[in-house]
Amino acid sequence: MQSCYFLGSALHTSLGADSASQLRALQQPPTAPGSVIVHYADKSQTLPYKLLTGPNVEDASKRLNQVVDAVITQALEAAQLSTNERAATGLFLGTSSFNINVVEQDYRNDLLHDSHALVMAHCSSQGIFGHEVRKRHGLNGPDFSFNTACTASANALIYADAMVRSGRLKHALVLGVEMCNSLTALGFHGLQLLTLDTMKPFDKSRNGLVLGEGVSALVLGNRNPSKHHWHLRGSANLCDTHGISATNPDGSVVAKVIDMALHHAHLQPTDIAAIKVHGTASLLNDEAEAAGMRHVFSTMPALCAIKPFIGHTLGACGLNELLLFCAAANDDFLIATPGIGNNSVEQGDTKLGVSLNQTQCTLPPGNFLMNYFGFGGNNTALVISNIRANIKE
Amino acid sequence: MSAPIQIYASGDHYHPVSEALPDLKELTQQVTGKSFRRIGRFIQLAMIGAARCTNLSVPKESAVYLSSGRGDLELTVEIMTELFARAQTPKPLGFVNTVSNAACFYVAQLLGLQSRSNYVCNRYFAFESVLQLARNDLMMGNVNSALIGSIDVCTHPLTDHRQRLHLSPHTEMGEGSHWLWLGTEDINRPALGELVDTRHFNHRDELLQWTRTQSIASLALSRGQFVGDQDWQFIVSHIDHAAIFDYRSNRGWYDSHSGAVIGDFFRSADVATSLLHINADDCGRFNAIFVKHSS
Repeated sequence: MQSCYFLGSALHTSLGADSASQLRALQQPPTAPGSVIVHYADKSQTLPYKLLTGPNVEDASKRLNQVVDAVITQALEAAQLSTNERAATGLFLGTSSFNINVVEQDYRNDLLHDSHALVMAHCSSQGIFGHEVRKRHGLNGPDFSFNTACTASANALIYADAMVRSGRLKHALVLGVEMCNSLTALGFHGLQLLTLDTMKPFDKSRNGLVLGEGVSALVLGNRNPSKHHWHLRGSANLCDTHGISATNPDGSVVAKVIDMALHHAHLQPTDIAAIKVHGTASLLNDEAEAAGMRHVFSTMPALCAIKPFIGHTLGACGLNELLLFCAAANDDFLIATPGIGNNSVEQGDTKLGVSLNQTQCTLPPGNFLMNYFGFGGNNTALVISNIRANIKE
Repeated sequence: MSAPIQIYASGDHYHPVSEALPDLKELTQQVTGKSFRRIGRFIQLAMIGAARCTNLSVPKESAVYLSSGRGDLELTVEIMTELFARAQTPKPLGFVNTVSNAACFYVAQLLGLQSRSNYVCNRYFAFESVLQLARNDLMMGNVNSALIGSIDVCTHPLTDHRQRLHLSPHTEMGEGSHWLWLGTEDINRPALGELVDTRHFNHRDELLQWTRTQSIASLALSRGQFVGDQDWQFIVSHIDHAAIFDYRSNRGWYDSHSGAVIGDFFRSADVATSLLHINADDCGRFNAIFVKHSS
């Protein structure tokens, strides 16, 4: 079995496209979302959204490709892959929406000229987006587009890691992509899951989520990284057949997937130094996640939430949130959400029984749990580590 | 890492589509023994294929790996048309069912599964992609039983559907749901055969070099739907004594033909003892699936 390390990464979210901006923003309290006007037929709807900082490009296709290409280029350069290594690299895309924003734009434009225009006339293939991205970056290895709702890029990471560990690939590029689109925004609006406020996971006043845009890339490979020694130590994915839109509120499936990930990582609950929660700030999902974590951890590790900062970036949240967590840890701090999810006996929702980290604290190398739960009953837990001694060199 | 991967069962549903799209509600109920409300034909096809493959009995630890060329195109087209042409916002359940892994959820629920589920697609290698991932999981011991499926549906009317797929107006169309049940040797039941390997190749020469390292006596060769004429002739001319296995000539177009080939091969007696299925993309990349009958 080969080893597999995180060799280079890049990320563009509402916090910015460079790590300095992102780290600065993560050390401030999360801000309320902006808004976006979603147009459909002759109607429009203003909805809360955490959009990317730039680029200021109106054409959806150009904007998507510009952001994706910049993030991939930066990650490949950070990983210092040679041209030959790139040519054999596999692509593992995780997204809930592919390029649907471009498909929507094309259809809206066509409808302006022909009220009977054919929907999806320009693109109806799900895999074409990954195929084109791969071609533009000279990645000739296999490409896989994961489409498992909010767990998509976390699952992409699991399989990219497995392909490197099994020796099938030397390098893999994991890519998370989620861009603003009308279908998703109005779908969540219809489910009454959106809030105009800052997201407040695990808070007694939580009232829904904010959607966010985000694109992230991570290069995995079997050579020893020069600086930080991040790697995926264990993982699990489990289908929860309780309900298609929410995990079992008793937390049993959440607990099981966490247990499976710990088992896969050969760790005990006490080995986990901190947890990055999924934390959608919806009533039932947070209850289920809290119940699941309480079941596994008799002493709760520090918990941090990242969605209040960047919104829920859906299929890309797996990689976006992992990379932000790692960036903060590399800068020696655990992300805090002051005033959010503070469930102390005096002021919080004691029924949940868990609290988010309230003040920034140092974060030594350790093992960290990342939770992700998605529509379609798709639940994923990752255990990442930056403990150098874990690595068999 | 070296236990052979067994193919325990296959199950399919295929029908040609000439104009009206078949109503699958009754067939779904007949095959699964259950009645489902408010699910579309993509999910119905998933359950029909998976139910036929497993006969509704499979270890609950079985993982589900599903793929498609276009996903639930019927639902996506409906929701996009309603939204942008008629200003009707998505209904909650319709929206939730647009997640591609919704079909995995219903299959897992139908079969009482408690394991991994993944929906993974690829423009040219839809079925091949999930087969590779499932094989890797089985080889690494992450799972010991896996259901691998691929589904593609048509949309109505077919003239629009062909245009959407950039096909010529007279292309024969079809819909298919194809499933395999794979597992390690510790599943106590007879196997149809063995999945020897499935691999991606960056170039045709790499593919041919790999074929030379395989033990391919009594081989049948099948052509994936995206392999060009020139490439196919070249490949056939470089692999000696292989029979050609035709699984496509009576099949209407949909994107995931490769999903059908292994089941068809095991149902076809005396063609050969092993099958090498080769597919390609538009960039000169190839994929090979190598299976053999149980001896």
